[in-house]
Amino acid sequence: MIRERIYKVLVAPQISEKATWVAEKYGQYVFRVAPDATKPEIKEAVEALFEVKVDSVRVVNIKGKTKRTVRGVGKRNDVRKAYVTLAAGQDIDFTDAE
Amino acid sequence: MQVSIATTSGLERCMTIGVPAAEVEQKVTAELKKLARGRRIDGFRPGKVPPAVIKRLFGKQARYEAIYQQMQQSFFAAVQENNVKLAGMPYFEPTVDEDGKDLEFKATYEVYPEVTLGDFAALQVEQKTAQVSDDDVEKMVDTLRKQSTRWSESSEAAASGDRVVIDFEGFIDGSAFEGGKANAYTLVLGSNSMIPGFEDGLVGAAAGSEVTLDVTFPEGYHKEELKGKPAQFKVKVSKVEKGELPVMDSEFFKSFGVESSTEEEFRAEIRSNMERELKRALRTLTKNQVIEGLKAANPIEVPAALINQEVDRLRRQAVQQFGGGQQFDFNQLPAEIFKPQAESRVVVGLLMSTAIEAADMKPSEEKVSELIEEIAATYQEPEEVRNYYLNNAQQKSQIEALALEEQLVEKILAAAAVTVVESSYEDVIRAANANQSA
Repeated sequence: MIRERIYKVLVAPQISEKATWVAEKYGQYVFRVAPDATKPEIKEAVEALFEVKVDSVRVVNIKGKTKRTVRGVGKRNDVRKAYVTLAAGQDIDFTDAE
Repeated sequence: MQVSIATTSGLERCMTIGVPAAEVEQKVTAELKKLARGRRIDGFRPGKVPPAVIKRLFGKQARYEAIYQQMQQSFFAAVQENNVKLAGMPYFEPTVDEDGKDLEFKATYEVYPEVTLGDFAALQVEQKTAQVSDDDVEKMVDTLRKQSTRWSESSEAAASGDRVVIDFEGFIDGSAFEGGKANAYTLVLGSNSMIPGFEDGLVGAAAGSEVTLDVTFPEGYHKEELKGKPAQFKVKVSKVEKGELPVMDSEFFKSFGVESSTEEEFRAEIRSNMERELKRALRTLTKNQVIEGLKAANPIEVPAALINQEVDRLRRQAVQQFGGGQQFDFNQLPAEIFKPQAESRVVVGLLMSTAIEAADMKPSEEKVSELIEEIAATYQEPEEVRNYYLNNAQQKSQIEALALEEQLVEKILAAAAVTVVESSYEDVIRAANANQSA
């Protein structure tokens, strides 16, 4: 994979109650990723940027809500999230990263 | 908690305190809870933020505050335990500050000096005494009469003691100089308010006349560029007024607040006023002498923190006196001017309180009421003043402090080597005034 692509795949860490919970329970870290990112790409990007060993990646697409206003129907952007399971004993500290 | 104290220099001490990690941890957790309460954090419902997240977000801040609190708490506990007489605020510096390790820190502070008072008998005090003589009263009455001189316009030539209204302009080497010009200036001849020769030259001038004066500025003149310079003044006299001293009648007495018709009564009133003034002046002088003696006999080192506090207080007072108001920052005044005064005040305060404590003195009832009586006597309605002081706890405690001071001075006076010096009313008043402004 080309170097620049790595920086485009991961958009932001997803910080939420659920993300904290899965991180603690399953060692999974949640990211928002580019809409066209593939699982191998995500795996490679996470391994390169956070220097960890990735076990598996699962992705989910969340459709943006449709919003109706006076001006007609609008649609929010879709969001693609990746649940990245790290190899046992590994973790990511987001305060140090970025 | 282990504590060790070391003397660094003079009155400065350095205390090293160790606090177990568990104790610090507890403080940090409490601080974290306080910081997170009611805070909205993105991605979490209020109150559902996991502790780990809070710690990640606020950990540093919480630890900083917790350590600060812990340092203060254990420091003051140590102060109590070791009977340290703390002066001013300490300065903290953590030496070991890591998660999971025992906290260790250094506190640098100053202590009150150990004051041991020398024998009062060694003190040399010069006590002044003076009486109000008839001459003094006469002089005072004269001054009062002069103050209320009535001026009336006259066409005669001016003599010494008359008041003139003049326009003048001064020239040096034929050119006018700055500050040498005035219009409608009121001048009493013989009052020596102008440079020598100026007033003398106007004697004999009538209203409407113009005089040219050749004078020389004295060597001690306050303006550098005019010192010793010969100058020419063109003076136009527009008015000559003769003074008339007021008659000693009840109207004149009334203007000074004395309700009496005879001269004897007026004089008696003035005399009693002067006597009161003299008594106060004598007391101030003696007190100053005692304090000075006490200071000289007991040289002590005082903590810098106390001096700085006093400097700040003096600066604030100065600002208030000059009407600086809220906007004026008293820190703008240079601290150096106030330092000597502040230092001597701190020294005196320390010595006094030690002496009072050593002798275990209490303000005596008689002294307090005597002081109140004295203050009340100068007012129109003594009864009201008396009640004000007696019923106001703050005022009363001030009076009590004053009484205690007086008692101490008396006590020292009784023990010290006192030499009595005769003096006159005027000298005493002048000396007391000079002392006050110093």
